[in-house]
Amino acid sequence: MDLATFAGSLGLDAITPALAGSDNVNSSELLGGNEVKRTPTEANGNSSGPRIGVFICHCGSNIAGTVDTSKVREAAEKLPGVVAAKENKYTCSDLGQDEIIAAIKENKVERVVVAACSPRMHEPTFRSCIQEAGLNPYLLQMVNLREQCSWVHSREKDKATEKAIDLVRMGVAKAAKLVPLEAREVPVEQSSLVIGGGVAGIQAALDLAQMGFKVYLVESEPSIGGRMAQLDKTFPTGDCAICILAPKMVELARHPNITLLSYSEVEEVTGFIGSYEVKVRRKARYVVEKKCVGCGVCADSCPVKVDNEFDMGFGKRKAIYVPFPQAVPLKYTIDKDNCIHFKTGKCKACVKACANEAIDHEMEDEIVELKVGTIICATGFDTYVPMKRGVYKYWEYQNVITGLELERLLNASGPTGGHLIRPSDEKTPKRVAFIQCVGSRNKKIGVNYCSRVCCMYSMKNAQIIKEHEPDTEIAVYYNDIRAFGKGFEELYHRVREEYGIEFIRGRPAKLSEDPETNSITIRAEETLLNKITERQFDLIVLATGLQPSEGGKRIGKILSLSLSPDGFFMEAHPKLRPVDTAIDGIYLAGCAQGPKDIPDSVAQAKAAAASAASIMAGKNVKIEPLTALIDESLCVGCGLCEEMCPYGAPEVFESDKGTKAKIVEALCHGCGTCAAACPQKAITANQFTDEQIASEIVSALGGIGVTAEKAKKAAKKAEEA
Amino acid sequence: MREAEKTFISGLREKLVEDKIIDESQLDPDFAKEIVKYGGKDVMTCLQCGNCTGVCPISLKIDYKTRSIIKFCQFGLKKFTLETRWVCATCYRCYEHCPADINPAEVMIALRHIAIREGVIPPFIKMAATNLVKYGQSVKPDPEIERVRKELELGDVPSRDQEYAKVVREINLLVRSTGYDRLIGIESEVKS
Repeated sequence: MDLATFAGSLGLDAITPALAGSDNVNSSELLGGNEVKRTPTEANGNSSGPRIGVFICHCGSNIAGTVDTSKVREAAEKLPGVVAAKENKYTCSDLGQDEIIAAIKENKVERVVVAACSPRMHEPTFRSCIQEAGLNPYLLQMVNLREQCSWVHSREKDKATEKAIDLVRMGVAKAAKLVPLEAREVPVEQSSLVIGGGVAGIQAALDLAQMGFKVYLVESEPSIGGRMAQLDKTFPTGDCAICILAPKMVELARHPNITLLSYSEVEEVTGFIGSYEVKVRRKARYVVEKKCVGCGVCADSCPVKVDNEFDMGFGKRKAIYVPFPQAVPLKYTIDKDNCIHFKTGKCKACVKACANEAIDHEMEDEIVELKVGTIICATGFDTYVPMKRGVYKYWEYQNVITGLELERLLNASGPTGGHLIRPSDEKTPKRVAFIQCVGSRNKKIGVNYCSRVCCMYSMKNAQIIKEHEPDTEIAVYYNDIRAFGKGFEELYHRVREEYGIEFIRGRPAKLSEDPETNSITIRAEETLLNKITERQFDLIVLATGLQPSEGGKRIGKILSLSLSPDGFFMEAHPKLRPVDTAIDGIYLAGCAQGPKDIPDSVAQAKAAAASAASIMAGKNVKIEPLTALIDESLCVGCGLCEEMCPYGAPEVFESDKGTKAKIVEALCHGCGTCAAACPQKAITANQFTDEQIASEIVSALGGIGVTAEKAKKAAKKAEEA
Repeated sequence: MREAEKTFISGLREKLVEDKIIDESQLDPDFAKEIVKYGGKDVMTCLQCGNCTGVCPISLKIDYKTRSIIKFCQFGLKKFTLETRWVCATCYRCYEHCPADINPAEVMIALRHIAIREGVIPPFIKMAATNLVKYGQSVKPDPEIERVRKELELGDVPSRDQEYAKVVREINLLVRSTGYDRLIGIESEVKS
């Protein structure tokens, strides 16, 4: 397709002859270029289109340091329709905004072009600015001279200026085609869904409940508490993890505004900010929660013993169990896979034992439907599982354990009652080594990030071991020590100075086991010594890193959340919107967004709760009108839009005129995928209509001083491509 | 020189100062780029964890620290790296373990390329190259080797055949036309 046909297909017949025409035709007139000298004030203003104001920002030296802004202004003045062109050091400042307001009032500007930074930064600022001056806020066109021009072309100043002029010309061309749009308001449900009952989810739920909102907390495990409940002590202060978490868990369970849905999974989420509809599967516990008092007689009578996942396989539990004594809710759950009754149809020892008749083997999964205004996603993390045939022999040597396993072995309510033993002979290890950065900072396994907690938890655990058994020799094999938080560096000093823990800079190369003693020799280059050493230890602890949780990945798909390169959920903006997601009304808390320690998780949970509350407190929420629109008379109901949309906004329905599609505005993000895909051209994306985009393209191709020859060349190039 | 200095460090003083302080002028800031040019990966991504040294079969036997060599490369100490001994067997174990995904073995190969171009050529390389143009193989034919081959019931090395002479001539032609002889400094050995 040549350019002329392309333009024609977009309904731009006016330019067609110019593009296809003879060499003698100066197409610039037709293209809206400008050969004839005009003064910016009168002549341009008299043209039939809307009156346009162009405001060029220096952004200090961010833009003006590279782009010659006065040249850009001069070029802008000559563009058709432009009645005012101004420069400002900071257009976003009060002064800059006042200038825009003044131009709207004095020069009767009807469309505003701000040539400054990315619309992600200041589009809302300028929208409210022109609204203040009486214009429809959507009659604004941002031209990105900073991220897309000056920053990327800082070494080619002349070309950057040229590009800036092109970009402004395109912006002006589009501005002429802008139409006013109205934002719609929808009511907000005064309730929130929190997914995940770890410390982040618990804190977010409590905060929202305190603010008076109804909260549903969904946890997939039988008890809330998450990973923090498994830990022994917390760094750097050495507080007992469950001792500080349990009060929050109890408060959550008792709070009148919170409905706790433990042992449940979020199955489906539909709707949009303000009114999400959620389906939650309450997995069958085979114990009636209302009747169970948590006495534990059933577990005593149960004949089945299996490894307890909560103790990382070190301790045992029964087939009817609570994962740990402080569990909330303290309701027993039958593990269907291991229960004799489900295997053979016999036993029922627990049923006989239970005085409250709480046990019901016939129970079935139940689907609960909720309606909420906002969602907080706090799905947490999984720890890295060492490779099957890796260097650190986790699966081959019994005395190689992970950090989380060590937490359980040190925990007073753990399988050993807090007495550290090594798995091979259950003796107390005298020499312990920690190996850092296992499953973190390793490009080979595709994990490039630092897990942020391993350095500190290894130090903390080393200190606890020393407190239990002061004559233990402890060495930490590290690459870099990251002790960046409050009180972290002090802990690093303490473990070296007071506890005599040795820090060896080097990544172990080889582990070999003595078959008789089961002790393990580590070979490593001690890089600060520049020597290869071999040392023997009784127990090796791998400081395994944090990874996005499997359950979280499933939830991410249900909520259509985007992921960062590291696989954790991506925030809307890394600095300024760290708890928001790209989807309105859904927020992130805790390790779902990236590895973090407990204080950071709690802080983020509070931030997510505040963000969710700020939406719900408003009762209504405005929905951007930058959505797709379907022209029903053109729609043939093929359903391609429904298939293509990443947000599930289009809906195919039967009307008296046949099968048609419609767009649920609140779900639509205005990405334009459907508009591009629609074979009938029945869909337009507001503020990105074909006409608007084509006007930008045409002005990009045929700028000031364009000749028919140039246009022909461009057409030829397009054809070749 | 003061009496005390004479007693304790005597004439070593000059040498000590020369060896222990690395002057900025000895650094080549573009050295990492040069290594990339000769086929190595970017050494700047190295975390200096020492895993490569630990797994290196050579470094267990002799004083050869893969990690230190990479550090020299990062630092731009070209002079030091050129003197690196050509002992790397390119077994690629370091590559297998490297968490920064550098390939130290290929960095070693790049360093050899650079050393040759800088004229730092170990004598055995010259010898091997000479053997190549003379006999068509890098190891000189040797009656002892022939005897062992016979013992192991292996065939004769066909170095005396007419066909083989043709191959040697072709090798000479290749060596001459690629300029390899001038690079290594064995022009006199190559038959035109």
